[in-house]
Amino acid sequence: MSFRDKLLSGDFIVTAEISPPKGTDKKPLLNEAARLKGVADAINITDNQRAIMRMSPSAACSILQDNGYETIMHITCRDRNRLSLQSELLGACGMGIRNILVMTGDHPSKGDHEGAKPVYDLDSVQLLELVRKLNSGYDFSGNRLEGRTDFTAGAVSNTRLDYVSLIKLKKKIKSGASFFQTQAIFEADSLSDFIDKIDEAGPKRPKVIVGIMPLRSEKNALFLNKNIAGIKVPDKIIKRMREANDPASEGIEIAADLVRELKSLCDGVHIMPVKDHENTKKILEMAGIR
Amino acid sequence: MIISRQKEFNDILKNLAENDIFIIGCGKCASKLHVGGEPEVLEMEKKLLTSKKNIVGWNVISSACNIKSWEEILSQNPAIGKAQALLVMSCGGGVSVISGCAEIQTYPALDTESLGGTCCEETVKEQCGLCGDCVTWMYGGICPVSRCAKSLLNGPCGGAIEGKCEVYDRPCGWDLIYEKLKKLKKLEYLEVFVAPKDHTRNGRRTI
Repeated sequence: MSFRDKLLSGDFIVTAEISPPKGTDKKPLLNEAARLKGVADAINITDNQRAIMRMSPSAACSILQDNGYETIMHITCRDRNRLSLQSELLGACGMGIRNILVMTGDHPSKGDHEGAKPVYDLDSVQLLELVRKLNSGYDFSGNRLEGRTDFTAGAVSNTRLDYVSLIKLKKKIKSGASFFQTQAIFEADSLSDFIDKIDEAGPKRPKVIVGIMPLRSEKNALFLNKNIAGIKVPDKIIKRMREANDPASEGIEIAADLVRELKSLCDGVHIMPVKDHENTKKILEMAGIR
Repeated sequence: MIISRQKEFNDILKNLAENDIFIIGCGKCASKLHVGGEPEVLEMEKKLLTSKKNIVGWNVISSACNIKSWEEILSQNPAIGKAQALLVMSCGGGVSVISGCAEIQTYPALDTESLGGTCCEETVKEQCGLCGDCVTWMYGGICPVSRCAKSLLNGPCGGAIEGKCEVYDRPCGWDLIYEKLKKLKKLEYLEVFVAPKDHTRNGRRTI
């Protein structure tokens, strides 16, 4: 079943995130993907995540699709103006990529090319509108395309929303986001307000795929709280990590417990480990999903 | 007001190939910001003399970006005739106007940062993004192009931590926009979908 069909089916969705290689060697990408075979419904491929330069996501998605994996291509507003965004999207569709995840993108100052010019010609809401236009067979300027795109577009969100962020979320829904992949959460309680807001969208209600980040250590949890916007590892989880004999196993257990709880609360989970997918299958098995 | 800062002196010296230099300061923004007024010009003269440059003269003209004619500048500053190069302590606008008229090599001593202003004796930077399509009325008078590090028009990026911009050491521009619109009872403006900027409006095409 394709990711799009899965979204429509109402089945619980599992996605997992891989960064493209920092170089031309395809092996690490394929090895990581192999860990997700039969585990994830689709593999998210990041777009110079944290502004660290890597292989283009459309190329990495294409490599995976050629090897039988369905992908969700991330596309940020950071590196491309409206011409480049459109040609990238046309190319991606031409290579068989059907799912995209639209986001603003971390600023270049956060990455390994600090002096790069930040583009942000469009923002994420405007990019979603542009995708809708390409899907209808026209480009940004209204020129007719020889073959329209056929994307299922999603967007990202934090689960704790202030007034302005909630308005932006609603704009994304209006502009055609059919699913949301959220920032990582660590306790299910924090989700109910967010789901209530999503439910207000009525018939246009997008699917909610909640971010899961298995913790590796107490230090890892503290780092996330200090440095990553939208992440809040609660004190009780930090305490569990601190007191654990084997913190990595504890992190797996915490993630599995959370996934089990989320099955009845949202439409799917998105696994984004700090390092690799060594434990992703295990987490999902422990949660009773795979 | 154009916000500028002084270049590192060694960076100025590195490029300054000529020996006989005339220094031009600017009586407007650069003076107010204490980067190109009389005290700074005198300080620059002192440093250049120490570095074995010959300063043939200096003047703080009323406005480097607004001159009547080069002939007038020359008649008021005959020492320029003895100079091999000019060192201009003004914003990029002033440097360009001067170097467009002068027929000798011209060097900038400042780096131009942004378009800002002063309020209650405090310098405020990055008040305008020079987009050529001012929509600040929708944002409580706060320019999203310059005050948001990503120039986002439809809402924040979500990257701020405890109200602090993820890029710069300053508050999230979108928090400021929200607070101001709330105060003005105009929060409904936040709900408007704002289309991408038309970059033909920023004036560059008229050069």
